[in-house]
Amino acid sequence: VIWRFVQGRRIGRKAVLLLGLCDAGKTLLFARLLTGRYRDTQTSITDSSAVYRVSNGKSANVTLIDLPGHESLRLQFLERFKAAARAIVFVVDSVAFQREVKDVAEFLYQVLVDSTVLKNAPALLIACNKQDVTMAKSAKLIQQQLEKELNTLRVTRSAAPTSLDGSATGGPAQLGKKGKDFDFSQLPMKVEFVECSARGSKGEEGDADFEGLEKWLAKIA
Amino acid sequence: ERGGNNSFTHEALTLKYKLDNQFELVFVVGFQKILTLTYVDKLIDDVHKEFRDKYRNEFQQKGTLGLLNGTFDFKDDFMRLLRDAEESSKVRAPTVMKTFEQSLKSQKTVKCMIETRGEKPKEKVKNKKNKGSKKEGTEAVAAPGKASAGDKQPSAAGEKEELTKDEILQKNREEFFKRHMKAGEKSRSPKPEAQKEKGKKPRVWDLGNSNAKVLDYSNSATNGSAEACPVEEFDPDIALGDRNREPGRLYDLEYESDDEAEEEKVIQNPSKPSAKKGGLGGMFGMLKGLVGSKSLTREDMDPVLEKMKDHLIAKNVAAEIAVQLCESVAKKLEGKVMGTFTTVTSTVKQALQEALVQILQPQRRVDVLRDVMDAQRHRRPYVVTFCGVNGVGKSTNLAKISFWLIENGFSVLIAACDTFRAGAVEQLRTHTRRLNALHPPESHGGRTMVQLYEKGYGKDAAGIAMEAISYARNQGFDVVLVDTAGRMQDNAPLMTALAKLIAVNAPDLVLFVGEALVGNEAVDQLVKFNKALADHSMAQTPRLIDGIVLTKFDTIDDKVGAAISMTYITSKPIVFVGTGQTYCDLRSLNAKAVVAALMKA
Repeated sequence: VIWRFVQGRRIGRKAVLLLGLCDAGKTLLFARLLTGRYRDTQTSITDSSAVYRVSNGKSANVTLIDLPGHESLRLQFLERFKAAARAIVFVVDSVAFQREVKDVAEFLYQVLVDSTVLKNAPALLIACNKQDVTMAKSAKLIQQQLEKELNTLRVTRSAAPTSLDGSATGGPAQLGKKGKDFDFSQLPMKVEFVECSARGSKGEEGDADFEGLEKWLAKIA
Repeated sequence: ERGGNNSFTHEALTLKYKLDNQFELVFVVGFQKILTLTYVDKLIDDVHKEFRDKYRNEFQQKGTLGLLNGTFDFKDDFMRLLRDAEESSKVRAPTVMKTFEQSLKSQKTVKCMIETRGEKPKEKVKNKKNKGSKKEGTEAVAAPGKASAGDKQPSAAGEKEELTKDEILQKNREEFFKRHMKAGEKSRSPKPEAQKEKGKKPRVWDLGNSNAKVLDYSNSATNGSAEACPVEEFDPDIALGDRNREPGRLYDLEYESDDEAEEEKVIQNPSKPSAKKGGLGGMFGMLKGLVGSKSLTREDMDPVLEKMKDHLIAKNVAAEIAVQLCESVAKKLEGKVMGTFTTVTSTVKQALQEALVQILQPQRRVDVLRDVMDAQRHRRPYVVTFCGVNGVGKSTNLAKISFWLIENGFSVLIAACDTFRAGAVEQLRTHTRRLNALHPPESHGGRTMVQLYEKGYGKDAAGIAMEAISYARNQGFDVVLVDTAGRMQDNAPLMTALAKLIAVNAPDLVLFVGEALVGNEAVDQLVKFNKALADHSMAQTPRLIDGIVLTKFDTIDDKVGAAISMTYITSKPIVFVGTGQTYCDLRSLNAKAVVAALMKA
């Protein structure tokens, strides 16, 4: 019975969530991982999930869940699936990053301070997508920018007026350590940055370049 | 959450969509706005049916992988359906012409203005028969109630024949017969009822005429009619004088009410057995709903939605918004397959709850401090304008927000652009003094954290605002809070003045201050404010309301519907919530708590 219970807890969290802003490339990444083929995608309005066999011969599977990134929908779906997340892939559009850095950081902040996420501490991979475009920012640059932005956000968010029923908006969770500048290593979960391109450098016919992503998925499976 | 109406216009295109909730599909048709295509709805329905039937297997069995891998070669089918739809719409046009022609023809023969659609051909026939004869005696009696009513119409209405006493006699006899035939003709009762009503009106006039005629004659006519209808046992009062027709008229009315009573009974009777059936069916339906999986239909959801709508209205949500919300929830759930152990009520409630949370969640970021920091970096002040109707708490909440900003280390300049209300400038001066006392310059590196910029009363508000902003830029203030006078949304000159202030000064944030006590008025206020701002601005993209401050939240216990109304109308977030009159009574919105309070029974 105890073994079943433990097993249940582990099995219950077998999902890998694909999160990110609108147009980051989550649905195309999802399609590529599962079928290897390119598909024209639309803005998602609902989640899609499927089982993915890890390709390194360990014959483990994870359930990939692709959530919509639209502002009005993302929190709702996050609520539904966060308890089942064993790992989170946060997809970032490397080309539009300069423009969207505040929105990216805000969404990432919301994901990170969520109490369920902090409790389970799923592995986090920040996938810098759209690397096939020449203007794409590198993963290192994105990491630095995000750290700076999250640093500011912690201050402003915790200073926001408290919520109606008394619980503060920033939550009792303080991201990282106080007094020091925010760093991804301060988080309770493992964070990695990886560059990838869902479309692939050869355009629509070729394969996608995401070996880093696949390797990481194999690791956590 | 706005799924109520199924069409959307953007620039030159109109989009119509249809949801399939069972398989989670969306069908969208786009066409140019200027074309009015009548076949679009039918086309989308046909496409929906065909697509679903063709690919039903793939959806049911393979799930997401099926969707990704499957090839949906629907193009040929779609072209065929499109061609069919276009042809059908072309065919329909000439038929419209025909019915018109028909009605013209019928009008010529009947010469009466009363048009009942189904009755027209019959009327034509009957009228041809009756045209010649004044005595419509035998035919009228022989034919059942419908025909007699039909006869009565032309006879009573158009021709202006004088009713002889025989005809009056005949009419009474017809009525008598009709009443007795009522028993057998319940189904036709509405129709002759309708005709009888129409026939009744003209008949009243004739009776009035004949009343005079009757008066001219001796009372023999009335006596005759009284005798001729042995029925008159019901009304033994029909005896004397010219009051014959008045009781007659009342008699008509009674007859009318009898009709109505019978109609009601008729209506009630079918409803009662249906209710009983519903009861039994309801029990089985409940079991079925508990165990199996059935798909939701409109009829299942309607009673639940009605109840939810009334519940929302009781919680101070504006009436039209409650209606639209329930509509969109219905559209979203129609045809959806419910899981096991879920009832209709719980599904609807959950869907409504999700829709409400989605409305209250901000679409864009609501981080004022972050934006202030940005403006600080660019060395320009962050300008916030407060607008709203009279007495909602603009000045009080302005003071609260400036307190909050000072606590976070930003220096504030308050611009007193309320040059109308007596004591407005003094009020702000008092607030400034108090805030400076709470945060003396010494504790903030020697600079005064809050200062008031005012130019007295009676001056132009837009000019004061502009001067205040340039003053802030020179002096290095971080934030400028502009307080405007309260104004009713119908007051056109004041709305123009406000629009001018906002258009000229281009503030970073335009906040609409609304109180939580407002009910249906909220919709009107916000719509008119936005319209005024849009109309009077010269720019291509006018500055509209960017956020809402909901005040006096402590006065409502759980009737929090105003929050929903306001965010629904503008789709802008609620930035602050005011919960009292001291400086610390400033909160931010917690969507889940508000929705929980709203849904609580």
